[in-house]
Amino acid sequence: MNDTTAATLLQAPQLAVAGATTDRAERHLPGDADIWVFVIGDMLIFSVYFAAYIFFDRGQDHELFVASQRHLSQSLGVINTLILLTSSLFVALSVHATRAGDFGIASRFLSLGGGFGVGFLLLKSYEWYSKLSSGLTISTNAFFMHYYMLTGVHVFHVLIGLVFLLVLRSELHGTARPRVKLLEIGATYWHMVDFIWFLIFALLYLMR
Amino acid sequence: MTSASMTDVAERPSTRRSTETHAAKSRKRDQWICWWSLPIFYNLFGLIFVYLGKVMPPPKPGLTQAEIVEFIQANANSMQIAWVLLALSLGFASLSSGLIVTQMRRMSGVSAALAYTYLAVLAVAALPGCLFCSLMFALAAFRPDRDPQIVAMLYDMGMLSFVGSLGCFVTQYLVFAIAIFLDKRGIFPKWLAYMSIWGVVTELVAMPIWIFRGGTYAWDGLISFYLGTIIFVIWEVCLVTCLYNAIKRQPLEELTAAQA
Amino acid sequence: MNMNDQRICLWLAPAFGVLLLLAFYIFPGFIPPSSPTMSADEVAAFYRNHVGQIRASMLIFNICGIMFIPFFMVIVVQMQRMANPSRAFAYSYLSAAASGATLFALADLAWLIAAFRPERDPQLLMLLNDLAWMAFITPVGFIIAQNFCLALGIYMDDQTKPVFPRWVGHFNLLTALLMTPGAFALMFMKGPLAWDGILAFWVRVGTYGLYIAVMFFVVRSALDRQARDQAQPQGATA
Repeated sequence: MNDTTAATLLQAPQLAVAGATTDRAERHLPGDADIWVFVIGDMLIFSVYFAAYIFFDRGQDHELFVASQRHLSQSLGVINTLILLTSSLFVALSVHATRAGDFGIASRFLSLGGGFGVGFLLLKSYEWYSKLSSGLTISTNAFFMHYYMLTGVHVFHVLIGLVFLLVLRSELHGTARPRVKLLEIGATYWHMVDFIWFLIFALLYLMR
Repeated sequence: MTSASMTDVAERPSTRRSTETHAAKSRKRDQWICWWSLPIFYNLFGLIFVYLGKVMPPPKPGLTQAEIVEFIQANANSMQIAWVLLALSLGFASLSSGLIVTQMRRMSGVSAALAYTYLAVLAVAALPGCLFCSLMFALAAFRPDRDPQIVAMLYDMGMLSFVGSLGCFVTQYLVFAIAIFLDKRGIFPKWLAYMSIWGVVTELVAMPIWIFRGGTYAWDGLISFYLGTIIFVIWEVCLVTCLYNAIKRQPLEELTAAQA
Repeated sequence: MNMNDQRICLWLAPAFGVLLLLAFYIFPGFIPPSSPTMSADEVAAFYRNHVGQIRASMLIFNICGIMFIPFFMVIVVQMQRMANPSRAFAYSYLSAAASGATLFALADLAWLIAAFRPERDPQLLMLLNDLAWMAFITPVGFIIAQNFCLALGIYMDDQTKPVFPRWVGHFNLLTALLMTPGAFALMFMKGPLAWDGILAFWVRVGTYGLYIAVMFFVVRSALDRQARDQAQPQGATA
């Protein structure tokens, strides 16, 4: 992180406290410093999970991992990626609509975004179920240990994200002047969840 | 504390972070005493579990029975000192619990339910999550000629309960995060709430220790133990710092002598 | 006062209660309940043959088992609104709830420890199994004390609009009574009072589940009433 970004992050709390103006020229950072601490920290934590996958376990038994990967359906992975991308798009559109003052439309976009999030969870559950029915459990081998743990922790993040989206929706409906900053915070988190899925998809499904 | 010094204090604007008068400090003395239990206890905790008890970093789940017996007997003396110290000092963890509840009760828009949950849940955590481990290892070290199979079982019981008591901490982190999010007074900063969500994740990634006897997700694993412990230490340091700030900034008007 | 925190704590109960019910169903030793008369070898076979199910169900118990505490703490907060002479019953309720949760945590740890090394000596597996069952079924005193405090608090809630209706007090005493057989599992290996018996298992566990479900609706109504009472003098608050 360079100096200007750091300076920007330091300014963000003051902006938040001043009662965030929606003037684009004044806003440096979407959301607030707190959510960025969360996002950056969370990504650091995930990078440790990924490092463990790549260097500790996969490095030790490469053939096993490649062979096990064949059991994963790349198509399901791609569909899940598209689902999350679409949901992120809707959440981003919701933020735009909120900035423009179209709270009803913003809320509908949020519902769509959340709906696709639920779709992701359903498809993931189906994927787990089909693996479990084939006898591929968490203790089958090191690859599947990582598979269930990485996708499991990600699912937890999606669940938290859905709770955040519900909070955003109640903000849009509950007050006369919904705070854009709150929507930016939720959107930032949701985009992070999407991004982490990309990395998981690339590591587990694609990287041979 | 005379009534004269109390009127001095009452006239002074206490929302600014000015240097505190002696009278002001004594109003918060009980909280400061509780606060000090945190750095003292956690340093002691480090001495007990790391240096004397040999439980952190953890010995391997994959040891044979003979190796387990050897581990216990080689470390019996220092372990026993460790567990005696813990038996004497773990009660003081209640002071940090009480302090956090006191500060949580200052939150606005938040009833006592979340604070009471924190209190109850840490009372649970102290037992199966901490003291039980020391009891099991103390039992293992107590009789050197105990059947090795039983020693191995005590070893499992100690390590698994220590690393694998998950639910109490999940609830603790969760209600703490919820309380901070709902609090309009900003007693604790929002980023501490987000860090508490990381705490929940550390418990989730510790679930596999109940399955694996080695590797990344075992009770001595890179993720389940080491990363989890690092995140816990960071969270604890942040909590202690935020508590310090919260007590320091607490307006004196809030602290009356007689409270319900 | 904003009641969101109480409502969140309230809804944690059904959200995690569903998971706990699922875990109860998955655990191979509840439906039907394993017998205390199983030999050590039979106990060992139980763990060796069902390792996956035991671990999965007990991990859910481990993670979710303490999630009723926030719900109980809402009851504590409501008890503090009662027109009782003091808050003694509310704080006693808090203390009993914490102790009860500790025993539940111990029980699922014991089942998990047994499932961790199913190749362990059958005598030791049986010991762990006994510990788990005893800790799960028998320490009913904490729930009895909780319900006792709540019931008496309700009976002594002397105001025109009591926090809880009187029948909730009767309900609490009745469920406490129905839980008492659990304690006797400490001494019986067969029959209705053994840990797999009609009274000590089905009545005791079934009553607890029903209790949580009923109290959910009771507390929800109480929260609604509290919200209405708060809204009346000042007009709608956030």
